[in-house]
Amino acid sequence: MKQEQSYYPERVKRAAHLLFFKRGRVPGARSWELKTGLGKEYLKVLTQLDESLKDLDLEVKKVESQVLSDYKPGLDGEEESRYFVRLKGTLTPREARMTGWRIDNLAALAACLSLIVSKQGKSERKELEEAIGQKVGRWRALTLTDAFLRSGYIEEDEEGLVKLGWRTRAELDLESLMMLIAESKPKGVIDQESEGVTEASRPEDVAGEVEAAELGEDQASTDA
Amino acid sequence: MAQRTSKASGRKELEELIQTCNSIESRQFNPFLLDVSEALRIIRRHSESWQTLQDNLLDMRAITSLARVVGLQSANLRFQSSSLFVDPGMVKQKIGSMSREQLAELFLLSWHPVVELEQLTDASTKEALDYWQQMLSFFERRKRLAAGPFETPGSMDSPELARMRVLEEKAFTKRLEEMRMEMKEKAGEERRIEYWSFVRTSNFPQTVLRAQMVSFLISYGMAALDRKKEKMFLIPRDPPFASRQGSPLSYPIPITKEVVLSRAK
Repeated sequence: MKQEQSYYPERVKRAAHLLFFKRGRVPGARSWELKTGLGKEYLKVLTQLDESLKDLDLEVKKVESQVLSDYKPGLDGEEESRYFVRLKGTLTPREARMTGWRIDNLAALAACLSLIVSKQGKSERKELEEAIGQKVGRWRALTLTDAFLRSGYIEEDEEGLVKLGWRTRAELDLESLMMLIAESKPKGVIDQESEGVTEASRPEDVAGEVEAAELGEDQASTDA
Repeated sequence: MAQRTSKASGRKELEELIQTCNSIESRQFNPFLLDVSEALRIIRRHSESWQTLQDNLLDMRAITSLARVVGLQSANLRFQSSSLFVDPGMVKQKIGSMSREQLAELFLLSWHPVVELEQLTDASTKEALDYWQQMLSFFERRKRLAAGPFETPGSMDSPELARMRVLEEKAFTKRLEEMRMEMKEKAGEERRIEYWSFVRTSNFPQTVLRAQMVSFLISYGMAALDRKKEKMFLIPRDPPFASRQGSPLSYPIPITKEVVLSRAK
């Protein structure tokens, strides 16, 4: 036991280095990298690191190669999993701005991911762009889909179908997202329920929303 | 003759089956739309008559495609029994009815962003240095592109650059100030002017440009936008301008050619 205590801190530090510092395109470390760097007992070292990170609201997350694979069996097993350090809790809308994503973009990402999940992990790109376009306009939908592809939230396969990417598997609690979306109520309904007053929303706001949603092809727009 | 016709119809049936399976794979149809036992019956019915390699390959492709659809059906059932199952139609409806803020809030409740640090490492620096040292000179690389003789750099004056739209003829702030003065003049004693009557011109690009300049005037607090029912009015302001006077709201105004033409009438 005494030997273990003197043995782990050095390895925990090394594990932190491996997981925090980005070496390639994707952050984190693969299980074989951790095995090479930390030894056979790397899982114990990661558990120890996870314990230490709890105080900072961070955690070590293991992601399998394909969580939502359909009929293709894939190569399961330790060799294919990747470990990340991620936020344990969640961010408030104010804090979320620090991540570099605008609220509009996060809304589009939520729409995009929930649609893919509802279609069993694969969807046509056009369909996604149409759904996002209803929220943020057609041109923005195109650029946002590209941004989501670049950042790894979604991936496009050889058949042109869009599926969930490594970042979604690492960062999103999809079960919770789908539950929240299924249970959600439109804003107006929430207001009515909370206030107990059947007051219709202001016509100007509705008009603004409609106008914003209707911005589409062949249209120039200006934010006044 | 009859055997040849039967073979041809058999091939056609198998090709149709493969096509249906491919459509299902690309998510165009529900996998349960395909009757697997009927598909197997078709494959079995023709299997004995295949003699050439081509026909046997077609048979094999049909079986493989069918196997993939069965796999999709299995995945579908597994998915439907999991907690992630939500009807796509319902998801679309929910997304459509929610505001952007609401959607973002729901997303944030399920989002745990990955923490990562980017840095220069010995390895990446060495790699970059190797790349730089091995890279051919600009002239060597240019030769490979066969770009023709190299033209010596020339010079251009400001009016020419302005004509090419590389350089602005007037400073941006000066143009804003001119626009504000024009607005003030047109507003007259009423001290306000209807948005479209100020922005609209007979030229569509010019209208878009004016709308853009007006949006800057409003953002910088040099003018205000007043919305009354269906009409919008611009109110020019006098200096000093403070940034806090600028509109904190973003209000999109669509400008289509039709709108400009209809308003011009």
